[in-house]
Amino acid sequence: MNASSLPSKTISTGYRFADWAVIAVTVVALLAGWLTKNSVENRSIPFEGSGISAQTPQGWLMTNAQGNEILHVTDPLSSGFGTTYSIENIPVASDATVGQAVSLLTLQRGQALTAYRVLEQKQVTVFGQAAYEIGYVFVESNPNLTYNQIPNIVRGLDYIFLNGDHAIVATYWADENAFESDLGRFQGFLSTLKF
Amino acid sequence: MSDQVCCIRGDPASSMIGKRWFCGKHSQSATRERPHTWRISILLVVGLVVFVGIVYMLDLVLHPALTGAGLILAGVLLALVPAFIWLVFFYIQDRLEPEPKGYILGVFLLGALLASAVGIPLVDNIFHVSKWIYADTATTILGSILVVGFIQEFLKYAAVRYSVYPSAEFDEATDGVIYATAAGLGYATVLNIQFVIANGGVALGSSVIRMVVVALAQASFAGITGYFLGRARFEKKPWWWMPFGLSLAAVGNGLFNWLRGLIVQRGVSLTGASTNPWMGLVFASVVALFTLGLILWLIRRNIRTALAEK
Repeated sequence: MNASSLPSKTISTGYRFADWAVIAVTVVALLAGWLTKNSVENRSIPFEGSGISAQTPQGWLMTNAQGNEILHVTDPLSSGFGTTYSIENIPVASDATVGQAVSLLTLQRGQALTAYRVLEQKQVTVFGQAAYEIGYVFVESNPNLTYNQIPNIVRGLDYIFLNGDHAIVATYWADENAFESDLGRFQGFLSTLKF
Repeated sequence: MSDQVCCIRGDPASSMIGKRWFCGKHSQSATRERPHTWRISILLVVGLVVFVGIVYMLDLVLHPALTGAGLILAGVLLALVPAFIWLVFFYIQDRLEPEPKGYILGVFLLGALLASAVGIPLVDNIFHVSKWIYADTATTILGSILVVGFIQEFLKYAAVRYSVYPSAEFDEATDGVIYATAAGLGYATVLNIQFVIANGGVALGSSVIRMVVVALAQASFAGITGYFLGRARFEKKPWWWMPFGLSLAAVGNGLFNWLRGLIVQRGVSLTGASTNPWMGLVFASVVALFTLGLILWLIRRNIRTALAEK
């Protein structure tokens, strides 16, 4: 039967096959797109400092670390507050408990960050390492009075590892709207952290 | 004499054009040369240029600071006017037997609906395209084709394939192009409204040029898919015909998106960072206009074939 003589409301088996072929090609293209996305997001460059190493995302902006910070990288393509990873190496007493390190860090955060509020805290195991997790929120503050943007609400996550006379803090900051979607990538970063 | 009746008024039919029967009078009417099609097309393009000029001047003089309902209204207006003009432009190209306006409007709305319900959430919230696509040139091209291009073109294809395609009104190969461009313009309208709102109504003057080009491009790439759909409806085609057509449209769409992305070509000088807002738009416009030329040529070829069959 010639396709042109088909009754107008009939779709032949050949058409149906072509329909499925279109869907299949689209699915294959989207899968290839997903693989491209993953390969780009997993690109990393090595970082090493103060006996700590990690794989940081490629293409992110590395800013000068201040104070106890040894690493501070920001995603330039984030909308709102730029997703940021940092690593701090805070000196503590050699017999300090994790609770003391947490108190010290919470105090520092409370002083440095606007509207800092701890949402949850718990002991966890991160890729085989005992750690303490603090989830919190703060408001991005820009001291420039001419900065005419509404401040962003930022969600943060600190992982505190005790390492002799130092507490190593791996931090994740992200815009509240991007926090959940960017968390997986931070966990990838965390898995590469060695000290 | 044929026992068929004219599809226009029900008089005894004497000839068939495309898949429809016509009486002598309406057959002549359908096949006569229409120089005014060209005239109206040119007038529509001139109208579009005037519209862009007016918005550009108003933005230049008034610098409107839009928020809330005013911003949404401006976004809808700026998106709808170019879409409507392009819709009429493509609609009148089907000079053999224009499609019912209700069907065209329905497919336009379906394209818009699929864009806002499926296309934009997929691109923005599932693939998070803006976070990785600009990593490097190869990634931008790949992401633009594989993700943005295929999602957009598949949804425009679906808007036609699963609505008017099996209907009796879809009776010429050219109808594929006409309906697909309507779906493309519906999709473009939603993209443009989203663009104005996301940018807070900033620089409406230059935005309106972008919106005109985006509407044209979305319609033209959909037209490629529509051409393949139309041919597949009335001719026996191999299984790869339709996937090939869709892929071709997705590649064109992806290249357009990549070129348009060059709009943010950054330059850094002693006085600070600067952007070149025109370069990418010019390149993208060339791709869109080339595709438009191709679509118009394909429409004319389809019409010539239909008349030759008569």
